[in-house]
Amino acid sequence: MSSSPRKRSTSAVRAIALLVIVVASFCAVFFYAGWWDAMFPVKAVTSQAHQVSELYTVIMAVATVVFLLVEGLIVWSILRYRRRPEDTELPPQIHGSNVLEVIWTVIPTAVVFVLFVMSLNTLNTVDALSKTPDVQIRAVAGQFQWQFDYLTPDGKTKLFTESTPLAANGGGLVVPAGLNVQLSLTSPDVIHSFYVPRFLFKRDVNPGMVNRFEFTIDPTEAGQTYRGQCAELCGIGHWTMQFDVVVKLPSDFAAYVKERTAAALVTPAPRPSGSVALELKAKDIQFDKKDVSVAAGQAFAIHFTNGDPAGLPHDVDIRQSDGRTVLQDKPTVDGGKDVTYDYTALKAGTYTFICSVHPQNMSGTLTVK
Amino acid sequence: MATTTIAPATASTYRGGLYEWLTTTDHKKIGIMYVISSFIFFLIGGLLALGVRTELAQPGLQFVSNEGIYNQLFTMHATVMIFLFVIPMLAGFGNYVVPLMLGAPDMAFPRINALSLWLLPLGGILLLSSFLLGGGAQAGWTSYPPLSEDRPLASTGYGQDLWIVSLILIGTSSILGSINFLVTIFKMRAPGMTLFRMPILVWTVLVTSVLVLMATPVITSALIMLFIDRNYGGHFFDPATGGSAVLYQNIFWFYSHPAVYVMVLPAMGMISEILPVFSRKPLFGYKAFIFATAGIGALGFSVWAHHMFTTGAVFLPFFSLMTFLIAVPTGVKFFNWIATMWRGQLTFSTPMIFALGFLTMFLIGGINGAFSASVPVDFALHDTYWVVAHLHYVLFGGSVMGVFAGLYYWFPKMFGRMLDETLGKVQFIIMFIGLNLTFFPMHMVGLAGMPRRIADYANSGWTDLNLLATIGGFTIAASMLPFIWNVFVSLRSGKIAGDNPWEANTLEWATSSPPPPYNFDHLPEIRSERPLFDLRHGKTGH
Ligand code: HEM
Ligand SMILES: [Cu+2]
Ligand SMILES: [Cu+2]
Repeated sequence: MSSSPRKRSTSAVRAIALLVIVVASFCAVFFYAGWWDAMFPVKAVTSQAHQVSELYTVIMAVATVVFLLVEGLIVWSILRYRRRPEDTELPPQIHGSNVLEVIWTVIPTAVVFVLFVMSLNTLNTVDALSKTPDVQIRAVAGQFQWQFDYLTPDGKTKLFTESTPLAANGGGLVVPAGLNVQLSLTSPDVIHSFYVPRFLFKRDVNPGMVNRFEFTIDPTEAGQTYRGQCAELCGIGHWTMQFDVVVKLPSDFAAYVKERTAAALVTPAPRPSGSVALELKAKDIQFDKKDVSVAAGQAFAIHFTNGDPAGLPHDVDIRQSDGRTVLQDKPTVDGGKDVTYDYTALKAGTYTFICSVHPQNMSGTLTVK
Repeated sequence: MATTTIAPATASTYRGGLYEWLTTTDHKKIGIMYVISSFIFFLIGGLLALGVRTELAQPGLQFVSNEGIYNQLFTMHATVMIFLFVIPMLAGFGNYVVPLMLGAPDMAFPRINALSLWLLPLGGILLLSSFLLGGGAQAGWTSYPPLSEDRPLASTGYGQDLWIVSLILIGTSSILGSINFLVTIFKMRAPGMTLFRMPILVWTVLVTSVLVLMATPVITSALIMLFIDRNYGGHFFDPATGGSAVLYQNIFWFYSHPAVYVMVLPAMGMISEILPVFSRKPLFGYKAFIFATAGIGALGFSVWAHHMFTTGAVFLPFFSLMTFLIAVPTGVKFFNWIATMWRGQLTFSTPMIFALGFLTMFLIGGINGAFSASVPVDFALHDTYWVVAHLHYVLFGGSVMGVFAGLYYWFPKMFGRMLDETLGKVQFIIMFIGLNLTFFPMHMVGLAGMPRRIADYANSGWTDLNLLATIGGFTIAASMLPFIWNVFVSLRSGKIAGDNPWEANTLEWATSSPPPPYNFDHLPEIRSERPLFDLRHGKTGH
C-alpha cells in the first residue's frame, strides 16, 4: 500500500472522533425531542397488551443494537476508507471469506429463532380463548357503525343491544375492569377490523365468519374511556367508524347490564289510539323522504320498510339537528323486512332522522310542531 | 425528446426520429422508453401522494371534498407507484443493461420485448382514464372484496373494472418480459460468460423473472375472478352469496409478497454493481450473494400470509417463522456489501451516494420486518401508519434510492454524457432529508394508534407528526426539480462520458457510449465476473 501506516492511524483516529460526534449528537437530539418514547406503543391497558408491549421492547432492543451496529459499520467505512490522492495502487482484492459467511448466517439465524420462540410464547397467551369467559359480547361492524350485542354467559342469547358507539352520545362498548371479556366479531357487509390502540390488538371482522378474542382490562382502569376505530378500509365512511370502550367497576357493570336488560324487555307505551304510523321506505341506501313532520308532545310511530337486499340492515334513529347527538335509538331491520318503530313524544323543533348504519347517505329532517 | 442532441459521433444511432423509436425492437431504446415512461408515472404517483399528504396535514377535510376521493387518491397512488413505476422501471434497467452485461446483441425476443413495453402505457392510460369516467378505484391497491365488489357503498362504477383490466395488461407485460429475460440469460450469453461469471444484477433479474413467472399468473386468475364477480354474478369472493373473502387475500398476497422482492431484488443487484466499482474492490462474497438472492426468492413464496395475521384465518406460527427467516439472507447481503467497502478506496460520485442512501435507509425497512414478523406485535402494528412507514422505507428508501443510483450510473452509457455531479448531490441531500421527514414520523403516529387509509382524524396527538410528514412529502417533491433540470442540461451539454467513465468492470462498459445497435464491435475475453478489470490489470488482481 502506498500510504504510511502512520497516516492511516491518524486518519483512523479522526474517523472515530467524527463517528462518535455524529452518533452522539444524533442520539442527543433523539432523546431530547422525546422521540425515543414515541418509538414505543401507547400505554397498554389489558393483561394481553402488557405482554405485547414487553415483547415489543425486547424486539426494539435487538433492533436498536442491529441498527447501530450496521449503520455504524457503514458510516465507519465511509469515513475511514475514503480514497486519498496518494491511493494510486489498488486496495487488496479480497473476493470473500467462507468463515465470515458462515458467521453472519448462523448468528442472525440464532437471533431470529430466539425472537420467533418468544413471539410464539406471547402469541399463545394473547390469542388464547377460555371455555367460560366472564362476559360475552358480540360486536357487529357494519358500514359504517359499530353495534354491541350483550350476550348471556353461554353466549347463546342476546340480552340487549348497544347501538350507540360513542360515549359522548351516551353509549359505547361498556366493559368491566378485571374481568375476562370474550368478544365475537361479525359483519353483515364488508371486512372491518376491531382495533383499540390501548389494547395493542386488532382483529378483522370478516363477513361470513366469526372471529373471537379475549381481553382483561387492568383492575385499576375502571372509569377510563378509550377510543377504538375500524382498521380495515371499508368504504367512504371508514374513518367515521369509531367507538369508545367505557370501563366500569364490575359492580357498576353488573348494574348496567341489569338495567339495560330490563329496559329491553319493556314494551313501549302504545301510541295514542287513532294516530297512524308514518310511512318511510329505504331503497339503494336512501330514504324515500327527506322531510317528515309530527305533532309536538305526542308519541308517534314510523312504519319502516327496508327495500334493500338481505344483508343490508337499516334503522331510523332520532338525533338532535346536529346529526350526532342520539335521542332515540332503534334496532336495525334487515333488508327485505319491515318494522314499526314507536317513538316517545318530542318537544317542538327540528331534529334529524337518520340510519345509524349509513349516516352519510341516509338522513332527513324531522319537524316537530 | 432531447435524445437527438447527443454527441455528434454517435448521433446516427439515435437519429431516425419518433417513428423509429415507436417501432424499435432494439433493447436499448426499449429500455430507455421503459425508464422514461416509468419516471412519468413516478411523477404522477408522487402528485397523488401529495394530495394524500395535503389532506392529512391538519385534522378536518380541507383538500378533498369527501372520503371517496381520498380513497381514490391513495388507491391510485399505490397502484401507479407499484405497477407503473417501480416494477417497470426495474424491468427497464434490466432491458437496457442485461444484454450488454452478457455480451449479447439484443434480448432473445425483440418483438415480444416491444409488446411488453407498449402494454404499459396502455394499462396506465386505462387506469388513469377512470378519473374521467366517474372516479378511480377506491378499495385500496389491495382491492379486497367485498369492498371491491359491485354493490352499494362498495365499488360501483367503472373505476374498479378499469383497475382490474389495466392490472391484467400490466401483468401480461411482466410475464412476457420475464420469459424474455430468462431465455436471454440462458441462451444469449457471450462465449466465456458462464452462469457464475454473470454480474449480480443479472442474477437478481434471473431470480426476479422466476418470481414473476410463477406469481403473476396467480394474481391474474384472482383478478379475472373478481371481474366475473363484478360483472357476471360470479360469487367467488362475496360471502353474501357463498364466496370467500379471505380466499382472495390468500391469492392476492401469494403474488404480492413475491412482488415486493420483484421491487427490491433488482435494486439490490444495482447496488451490488455500484458499490464494488466505487470501492475499487471486487464484490465480497459473489456466490453468497447468488445464494442469498435465490434464498430470498424461494422463501418469498412461503410468507404471503404475514399480511393476513389479523384475519384470524391463517396458521400463524408457520408464516411467522418463515418471515423471520427471510431476514437472514437479507442480512447476509448487508454484511457482504459492507465487507465490499471495507478497506477499499471509496469515491463518492452520485451513484455511490445513492447506493449508500440505499444501504442506510433500506436497513430501517428491513429491521422493521422483524417487528411485523412477530405475530403479537403485528396485531398492534398491522394496518396502522407504522406499516406505511415500513413499506416506504423498503420501497422508497430501498427501490427508489436504487433506481436513482442506477440512473446516475448508467445514464452516461445510455446517452453518452455524464449527469452533473453537483446537481446530483443537491438532489440526494434534499431527497434524503425529505424521505426521513416524511416516513420516520409515520412510525410514531402509527405506534400512537393512527390507522392507515383514513381521510381524517380527530386525535390531537397525531397532528404534529402528520404535519411533519406533509412537509417531508413536499421536500421529496422539491428534490425532483434538480434531477429533471440535470437531465435536460446534461443531455445537451453534459461532460462527454467515453466508454467507461467509472472504471467499471462489467461488459456494458466495453462498448461505446451509447452502444451501436448491435452492441459490441468486439468483446474482451471473459475469464471472471470482472472482464474489464482483467483487461486493465491482467489476472494479477485475482
Ligand atoms: C413521493 C413520496 C411519497 C409520499 C409522500 C407517499 C405518501 C404516502 C402516504 C401518506 C400513504 C398512506 C395513505 C393512507 O394510508 O391513507 C401512502 C401509501 C402507499 N404508498 Fe406512498 N408515498 C410516496 C412514495 C411512494 C413510492 C415510491 C411507493 C412505491 C414504490 C409508494 C407506495 C405506497 C403504497 C403501496 C401505499 C399503500 C397504499 C394503500 O394503503 O393502499 N409510495 N403513500
Ligand atoms: Cu369499517
Ligand atoms: Cu409481504
